[in-house]
Amino acid sequence: MHQPLVHISGLSIKYGNKTVLRDLNWIINRDENWYLGGESGSGKSVLLTAIADKDKKTEIQVNVLNKSKLKPVCLYISQWYQFKNLEGVANFYYQQRYNKQQLKDTLTVGQELALYGKENQLDFTELDQILIALNFSSFKDAQLIELSSGEHKKLQLIKAIWLKPQLLLLDQPYTGLDINSRTNLNILLDYLASQGVRFVIACSEHELPKCINKYACIENGQIKELNGVLPVVRTIPLITKVPSFLQQTPKPNADVMVKMVNVNISYGDKQVIKNLNWEVKAGEKWLLQGHNGSGKSTLLSLVNGDHPQSYANELYLFGSKRGSGESIWDIKSHIGLISPELHWYFDKEASVWQSIASGFFDSVGLFNNLGYHKTQQVNELLDYFGLTEDKNELLVNLSLGKQRLALLARTLIKNPELLVLDEPCQGLDEQQTAHFNQLIDGICSTERTLIYVSHNQQQLPQKLTHRLVLNQGEVIENSTYNLEKELA
Amino acid sequence: MANYFNTLPLREKLNQLGVCEFMDNNEFLDGVNALKGKKIVIVGCGAQGLNQGLNLRDSGLDVSYALRKEAIEAKRDSWKNATDNNFKVGTYEELIPSADLVANLTPDKQHTAVVSAIMPLMKEGATLSYSHGFNIVEEGMQVRKDLTVIMVAPKCPGSEVRAEYLRGFGVPTLIAVHPENDPQGKGLAQAKAYCVGTGGHKAGVLRSSFVAEVKSDLMGEQTILCGLLQTGSILSFNKMVEKGIDPGYASKLVQYGVEVITEALKHGGVSGMMDRLSNPAKVKAFHVSEELKKIMRPLFKKHQDDIMSGEFSRTMMEDWANNDANLLKWRAETGETAFEKTPAGNVKINEQEYFDNYTLMVAFVRAGVELAFETMVEAGIKAESAYYESLHETPLIANTIARKKLFEMNRVISDTAEYGCYLFDQACKPLLADFMKTVDTDLVGKNFNEGKNGGVDNRELVHINEILREHPVEIVGRKLRKAMTAMKSIKTA
Repeated sequence: MHQPLVHISGLSIKYGNKTVLRDLNWIINRDENWYLGGESGSGKSVLLTAIADKDKKTEIQVNVLNKSKLKPVCLYISQWYQFKNLEGVANFYYQQRYNKQQLKDTLTVGQELALYGKENQLDFTELDQILIALNFSSFKDAQLIELSSGEHKKLQLIKAIWLKPQLLLLDQPYTGLDINSRTNLNILLDYLASQGVRFVIACSEHELPKCINKYACIENGQIKELNGVLPVVRTIPLITKVPSFLQQTPKPNADVMVKMVNVNISYGDKQVIKNLNWEVKAGEKWLLQGHNGSGKSTLLSLVNGDHPQSYANELYLFGSKRGSGESIWDIKSHIGLISPELHWYFDKEASVWQSIASGFFDSVGLFNNLGYHKTQQVNELLDYFGLTEDKNELLVNLSLGKQRLALLARTLIKNPELLVLDEPCQGLDEQQTAHFNQLIDGICSTERTLIYVSHNQQQLPQKLTHRLVLNQGEVIENSTYNLEKELA
Repeated sequence: MANYFNTLPLREKLNQLGVCEFMDNNEFLDGVNALKGKKIVIVGCGAQGLNQGLNLRDSGLDVSYALRKEAIEAKRDSWKNATDNNFKVGTYEELIPSADLVANLTPDKQHTAVVSAIMPLMKEGATLSYSHGFNIVEEGMQVRKDLTVIMVAPKCPGSEVRAEYLRGFGVPTLIAVHPENDPQGKGLAQAKAYCVGTGGHKAGVLRSSFVAEVKSDLMGEQTILCGLLQTGSILSFNKMVEKGIDPGYASKLVQYGVEVITEALKHGGVSGMMDRLSNPAKVKAFHVSEELKKIMRPLFKKHQDDIMSGEFSRTMMEDWANNDANLLKWRAETGETAFEKTPAGNVKINEQEYFDNYTLMVAFVRAGVELAFETMVEAGIKAESAYYESLHETPLIANTIARKKLFEMNRVISDTAEYGCYLFDQACKPLLADFMKTVDTDLVGKNFNEGKNGGVDNRELVHINEILREHPVEIVGRKLRKAMTAMKSIKTA
């Protein structure tokens, strides 16, 4: 019993050709739950996956107990969720969930959980409690492909909690969760801790479960113990000037960018958008909020031309009625878009340079040549986002944070009149988030229009002017907004 | 109705088989204009029907679906597919009379009934479009003389047609105008516009003819694409089990091996695939595939001859008339093979291992691709058409095997392809019986390089590389692949 739960000595790991962990030592005792902070790309995911994959490294010992109510395993929950269709293929495409096909391709949530529970011999009465605690009971009949990114995250956490492993390594577990879900998750984690589960939580959040009693970050490839969570990064001056081509906003070609009149979207009997009215005038800066599954992504897919049910609704984009002969590529040409789903489905075999350049054509991957000016713009943004060194790397070889920076650059590359930023800063650390929001403020002149989604009230651009809040597909607030007042 | 191809004089047969032009991007500058504001009515809402319709609508065109009254009343899947995506749906009588373009996207077997039902309803001067020419060429469907008849055939499953469109690309596509039905001369312009509407113009478009498309499509699917992959997979699996290789490992190697191997084929052609082998393995695979080509050439020729003469379609249509008795029997038999019934083992096989331990399949693929290509070209089909129907489609079919083995492949492909696949497989296995006796586990199941010193004769290697690279399928392939470089890799394992 005197062995520590985890004992790491002299661990070094390379990621690509860069040394990430350097002679790292770390002991996790049996009464400890750790917070693991640190910059994006500092090696948190690399360390946690190495612990989970302990058999490959002699430097790592994990001493789980065989005589225990808890599963004798050490489980890693990655930032990225994954699901497969009935044939075991994870080959889905962007926005597929909005294209309805009768051929049922994926399992339902209920079937998926039933299989998982049987495989791991779990108690189904406990499952119901977890589902209720995370407000997920109503999703049992939903197809996996229909879930939003936040809902996938919840499902992934539900499975982990249900399993009750002796050691649970959570990598950015709060990503994409709404505020209530975060609180509920923390309560569940505290309950698990009381049952003996031990945690390492890698995240940049400040609201942690109470059971966390040890703090550390990774610095220069080594564990550095801290007294508490890393402090909030408030304001940092911009390092570089805003790229010149972004300083001039293109003239909007309509006074009203988006207009929705009594919009309804339903899948079978389930109504996801109800009688929604919304008008976004040129130059307005909207904050869009709502709980997980409230319909935010669906609403934005209407704006972006991606939802087949657009054609059955009264919807005007950039001055034209939807379905009056425009193509989705006409619509997308006005918009710079980032969303968790776009990232999830993006072609990871594309290089950073190609990914950014593809933003000129709104394509996933680059299929065209750029002329001199466009090439210069790509280079300017590479420089601004600190990606010049990585420009020829494939996305798949980079950390999620760096992938996200490349896709944010893609969002801006064509200097669009409307920016649709759906949780743009997922995967970024606080400093990167602050920088990005400063950039957004810097380029959001009076003429540019912005729609911004975030669950994190602490980190928002300053220039927001309006707010739309959704609840179960209905608008519960549609008003002007002032960030300073909100925070005061 | 008489087989259309057989009614043609030889001169015209050769003329239509020879229609083949790889189209330049500049040909598509008019976008979808030729169909803008026109009423497009799609008949059938399965995988091709639905996904092509979604793309056409998202390109700014007016799309609705005509279904049989019974399908609407019973709320069949086709009705749900269309209505769930907010398309207008109606009966033939309601929608066909006002249609400017009717796209028939039903299965081959239904074409005669469907076209016979809609033709009297179509308005004067409208256009009828197909995605496959069997009905026109083999069944000899006669279409009213005032109607224009075109073909737009995306060379991918329906789901890929949608997936590639949404990422801003498309899938390689064949287009054609039926020379008997182009009274206003608008056929080509409309076919191009339709192709732009589905995104196909971004991924390489081949202008073909109904005849060339049918005769090459049938040949490809029966021989290299489905037939040979099925024969090669079953023989390889059985050989490994016979030689004591773990059945779970054998099952996994075969199920996923064709996909990994043909992924190399997709990017680098036959020589790119052969380059993945070590030098000694490449030399061996070369000789083995030469032998396979010699053994199988007569069978490939027989299939091409039966396709050209109409014998193949005649016997298949007899089976249609007999309620698919043969097809269903053969399908059931495929479901019962040892390979099909052995689940893939829970073993990790690295990407390179699929080449090193499955050299036999590399040899099968080279032999099959080259034979199919050579036989088609000998029969008067142009090199570009032959490339599409042999090398280009092989990885797509291999992907279906990786998903769920041969049963899945045969479920996804058309009934026509499936029927031809079984014909080939049944004739090919006995043909290869003696050859298979010479095969040992170094070619299939174990690493070919194990226990060998790795040396080769320089002159022989150079000679082999030259033969591989100078093959006509490689020369035309290098040109066509440039236009398709951006195709996403399809991954399963």
